[in-house]
Amino acid sequence: MASVAAQYLPILLFLGVALLLSTAFVVLPIAVARLTGAHKPSTDKLSEYECGFPAFEDSRMQFDVRFYLVAILFIIFDLEAAFLYPWAVSLREIGWTGWLAMMGFLAELLLGFAYAWKKGALEWE
Amino acid sequence: MGYTASFALSLPEIILSFGAIALMLAAAWAGDKASKAISVIAVALLAGAAASLLGPSGSGGVGYDGLYVADGFSAFSKLLIYVSAAIAIIIAPGFFDREGEMRAEFPVLILLSAVGMGMMVSAIDLLSLYVGLELQSLAAYVLASFLRRDGRSAEAGLKYFVLGALASGILLYGISLLYGFSGGTSFHAVAVAMHAGVGTGLLFGLVFVLAGLAFKIAAVPFHMWTPDVYEGSPTPVTAFFASAPKVAAMGLLVRVAIEAMGPAGDEWRQIMIFCALASTILGAVAAIGQTNIKRLMAYSSINNVGFALFGLVPGTAYGASGVLTYMTVYIAMTLGSLLCILQMRDAEGNPVETIASLSGLSRTRPGLAAAFAVFMFSLAGIPPLFGFWPKFMVFDALVDVGMWPLAMIGIATSVIGAFYYLKIVKTIYFDEPSDVRFVPLRSTTEGVLILIAALFVSPLGYFTVPLLGKATLDAATALF
Repeated sequence: MASVAAQYLPILLFLGVALLLSTAFVVLPIAVARLTGAHKPSTDKLSEYECGFPAFEDSRMQFDVRFYLVAILFIIFDLEAAFLYPWAVSLREIGWTGWLAMMGFLAELLLGFAYAWKKGALEWE
Repeated sequence: MGYTASFALSLPEIILSFGAIALMLAAAWAGDKASKAISVIAVALLAGAAASLLGPSGSGGVGYDGLYVADGFSAFSKLLIYVSAAIAIIIAPGFFDREGEMRAEFPVLILLSAVGMGMMVSAIDLLSLYVGLELQSLAAYVLASFLRRDGRSAEAGLKYFVLGALASGILLYGISLLYGFSGGTSFHAVAVAMHAGVGTGLLFGLVFVLAGLAFKIAAVPFHMWTPDVYEGSPTPVTAFFASAPKVAAMGLLVRVAIEAMGPAGDEWRQIMIFCALASTILGAVAAIGQTNIKRLMAYSSINNVGFALFGLVPGTAYGASGVLTYMTVYIAMTLGSLLCILQMRDAEGNPVETIASLSGLSRTRPGLAAAFAVFMFSLAGIPPLFGFWPKFMVFDALVDVGMWPLAMIGIATSVIGAFYYLKIVKTIYFDEPSDVRFVPLRSTTEGVLILIAALFVSPLGYFTVPLLGKATLDAATALF
């Protein structure tokens, strides 16, 4: 009997993962809020505020997209640097293949950087 | 195998990636004026990559120390992918020029996505699989939000990105489990470990990997992103999403299921049966209430993916060839329908997307209405049209291994699906004309493409059966 049930384990797991992920994100925050606090909504409670004051402006404020551009470029080059360390210490083992692969990677990155530069991603004004 | 031989195997990817990088620089320096020239070169590169499949990159075997394979299966899938990608590039300028948003980066992104898709269908290692999948997805996220000033397009891109990242995480977690419990990342190592016995760890890995891949092909229960993304994306991008990435992800799924998880066939078969049934049923039922034609096409694609999955369930070469045949005919039907939708513009040139406004199309644009009706009948799988053939093949493969109850349920869901396809035909031909005046055809290229697709899915398509049957069977046999 147990072996018959075990045969259907994959489908159970699959459904479990599907259900769990979709419900957890929806139910969990609501449930935790309800269980840990008293639920007495009023107009004052439901209205938005900033540090005790009524909101000064719309909270969906527009950020300058340039901040994101700089952040993205920083992450790319930060990762590149992180990638270079393990490559550098193991260069003896990986030999010319490893050296060429990294040079290919760097060249590709450089071309991407040239694109970003030409497009004006580095200019603030 | 030396490096030269390995490079020769991946010649299509090399052509496309070098070309894409060169075009990217051209796009930066020449600007959006050059977008037409860049589109032409991009299509030529795709043609070159397809032509290179005739050489060792079509059937050369394993390269890069077991990370990459060039066999009949990958060559057939790549051919479909390159054709769909080329069509997406060809139809884009007509759409974006009107919005003043045609940018030179569009063909470059499609090319990069094509490189990723080529890697997906050629991957025989969990790591090259993941790299290919991510390369395809990253380009797709940008393409979804290509109309930057359109709120819906931005929303589609963001939704696709967030949910796609979640799916990649699930997939990567599954890959880490498979690696941990099998001791290798190659499909062969996973298959060897599974042959020795599918323990709980491998089982969890299998489930997570299949969940991640089910997201990419938009099979129920991982389909929820599809309607929003298809509706919000610019129509040429929707056409691209519904064709090339579907073929790539389906090819990847077939290869993973058969080459890596083949010994665990009984385990994944249950999952495939569930996904296939759920996708066909939900795709058919949820489409009935839709009012937006692009949203309806999203549910139609969910429905069709379900039917293609039926071909994978038996785990036989004939079944896998059914999947390939299904995808071939499916991309002709879906690209044809979306090309027709692309043509639907009112007198001011604004795209018309509601189904109700299609009424009267048969009076103002009889040719377009006829083509659209052919695609709808074919998607519904009505016998004289070619859309019937792949459905027949996948169910035949099921009956071959004695799974006829499943085949019968599948046929029943196909009947439910026929309802909403026929409803559109009824709207086009029999409803009172709406006040939307459709403008005449502007682009002969698009007209020719619609004509070719319509002829292929018409009963004339059966003339391709001997050729298509042999090609898909050869491709599928390469997996076994």
